[in-house]
Amino acid sequence: MRGLNGPRPGADRAPANGAPVNGAPVNGATAPRTAPRPARGPGRASSPPSVFASVRALAPPVLRALPWRPLAATGLLGPLLAAVPRLSDDPPTPWLAVNLLRGAILLYALGLAFLLDDPARHTTAAVPTGRVLRTGLRLALALPVTVLWWTATLLAMPAEHRPPAGAITLEAAAVCALAAAGAVSALRLGQEAAPGRQVAVGVLLLAVLGPWFLPERWALFVTPDDPLWTAAHDRWAGLLAASVLTAAVWLREPGARLRIRCGTSGPSRTS
Amino acid sequence: MTATLLPQAPAAERTGPARTFSAVLALALLEGRRLLLSPPVLAALAAFTAWTVWRTPGVEDGHPALQDVDRATQGGPLLVALAVMLSVNHAVLRSKYRDTERHFSVLALGPGARTAAHALSLLPVALVTAVGVLAHFGYAALLPDAVGHGSPAELAVGPLTVLLFGAFGVLLARVVRSVAAAPIALVLLFLLFVAGALPVGDDERGTRWLLPIVSEPGPVIFPSDLLGRPAAWHALYLAGLTLVLGTLAVVRAGARGPLALGGLAVAVALAVTGGVLQTGTLPADVRAARERATLTPEKVQSCVRHTGTTYCAYPEWIPRTDRWAQVVDRIREASGVTASDPALVVRQRIDARFGPAADTDPEATGTPHQVTVGTSWGGNRVPEFAADVAGVLVAGDETKAGRICDGRAVTVMWLALSALPDPVGSLRDVRLDDSDTGSALVLSQTAPHSMTEAQTEVVRDLLDRPRAQVATRVKAHWTELTAPGITAAEAAGLLGAPKPQGDDKCED
Repeated sequence: MRGLNGPRPGADRAPANGAPVNGAPVNGATAPRTAPRPARGPGRASSPPSVFASVRALAPPVLRALPWRPLAATGLLGPLLAAVPRLSDDPPTPWLAVNLLRGAILLYALGLAFLLDDPARHTTAAVPTGRVLRTGLRLALALPVTVLWWTATLLAMPAEHRPPAGAITLEAAAVCALAAAGAVSALRLGQEAAPGRQVAVGVLLLAVLGPWFLPERWALFVTPDDPLWTAAHDRWAGLLAASVLTAAVWLREPGARLRIRCGTSGPSRTS
Repeated sequence: MTATLLPQAPAAERTGPARTFSAVLALALLEGRRLLLSPPVLAALAAFTAWTVWRTPGVEDGHPALQDVDRATQGGPLLVALAVMLSVNHAVLRSKYRDTERHFSVLALGPGARTAAHALSLLPVALVTAVGVLAHFGYAALLPDAVGHGSPAELAVGPLTVLLFGAFGVLLARVVRSVAAAPIALVLLFLLFVAGALPVGDDERGTRWLLPIVSEPGPVIFPSDLLGRPAAWHALYLAGLTLVLGTLAVVRAGARGPLALGGLAVAVALAVTGGVLQTGTLPADVRAARERATLTPEKVQSCVRHTGTTYCAYPEWIPRTDRWAQVVDRIREASGVTASDPALVVRQRIDARFGPAADTDPEATGTPHQVTVGTSWGGNRVPEFAADVAGVLVAGDETKAGRICDGRAVTVMWLALSALPDPVGSLRDVRLDDSDTGSALVLSQTAPHSMTEAQTEVVRDLLDRPRAQVATRVKAHWTELTAPGITAAEAAGLLGAPKPQGDDKCED
């Protein structure tokens, strides 16, 4: 079915230089009843709703439409995995402790890969609410959940076996950002309504092949007692920055250019 | 009045089991091709090939024992297996996500038969994996110094893992109808089976055999008949488990016919048989054979003679005696040992009593003129063996060679190293700290001994001189050089090297 009636690849939104037909944004589920409806006079273009109003209107339906099940499943498995050392009498090796946490991170990142799956994508492609706002809101709504999951996972691992918390948190942030960047890119570059599986497979491939094929000077998957630990975490920080940057770039509308504001805003110019 | 002739309606065709079977086969072929060409499987096959090509040339330093190489082929296919699990899972769920389930439901081929076709579609990729495994094993088997025997059951484990994980992917798609399930299951399986988070014990038999791939952590190569791995039962267990998962998926999809249920019963029987028999205790005859081969190796070994030296080895290693003879002959020709002296015996010994997982070296023997050689060859094993041979030639037996703590070490090390292609490199290899100056411990199969700073200095100087020139002096002063109590400075004087400056105090 893909590509039958869509606009050009990746274009989720019609060019928004005309007046919006309806100020109420739609996303996935039904339009909210409390949508702000700006007053408009006959023959005058209405002013678009403020970002704050859009967010307030969008948040409940987006919250409902988010694919919570993969996120919940992987989020619950994280603390369980991290708690494995509590079951055994023998202390885990540092290698096992750090890799259990990495397994938990990878699992959650797989859940995140499905975050932008939206069966209604082709329906909502025409709404005037921009991609930055719609996709950004999904990511922002997942953020508190992610923080909660990571806190629980880190606390589930016994303190005496826990790898340095700051460094391992950096790894978690980098992998989560990588998964999110993958999802954003898949949305921007393809027409698939649910690209989550491809993103998940990509993240998995990187995770499985990385430790096998990364040469030592680019090593990422090291244990805390390894002298390369600090250098590896510089690379993790680089990966985090690159992922965030990629996500930010692909989040923008295709074809959007940087515009220099010249005193007046859009609507007043059109009138 | 016009009469309309209606063509007679075609009689309803009955679709018998034969028609269903050919339809399943056709679908399996199509799905098999799609599975082989799916991006995860292609990526995994590429990585598997790259890994194998990169790793294989260095297999066991180029001197492989095939009973270990067959096990080394089991890890790579795991990557393919995980990718196949992802892809086949998606293939089964494709009709749900493309919303074609309702079109399929009007076809004669029911969901059970379609699931069976998906399970059968695993065979082509398993065949491709088998080709890769055979290429890996075949390369090692064709190396000029390959010894031992491979086991077909061990070689089958790689392709069987692909089938097992694939069948799990099919079953998962029938149980959890979500594409998110397979990646999550994959990570959990990986953590459980590969990263070793599953506590399975480390007994030689027992529950660790329930994992798909059972490796032996020990570094010692065993003769095939002492390995005692229930490889055939394990292959049966894997095949049975694969069939259990596959038929469970078919039954779950709705096929409750006698074929599906009967197949499930047979599969369970196979898996339980294999599973129980492989985890049973180690047979007493394997234990007895290990004791015999460790304590009285002469009862199981055969011996050959090369130029005045006898080489006794476990039967699988007889072809390797030529390699040992090359080293021994070079050392003998530079030493003062004459043909009238008692013949040197090189005997292969391992300590097999504690199983392949243990890392126990055999103890030094006090038998005169006997040198121990292990089951590995190549790399560091060559200079270690050379040092052992030279030690026995100088000191008389291995126990005495291990206690050498005087200037005789100069003769021993010069004899051993000058017989090798890269003497100074070998000197670093054979010393514990990889150094070529100062004092250090010299590694050995049975009798490690130490080298003082002064001895190292003299040996380094002698290695820079022409071999024939030093050999003449060694032969001329053999009795003095092999007399206990000689100092490094005296040895240097006899051999024409400058007096060493360094410390000559033995560490033990």
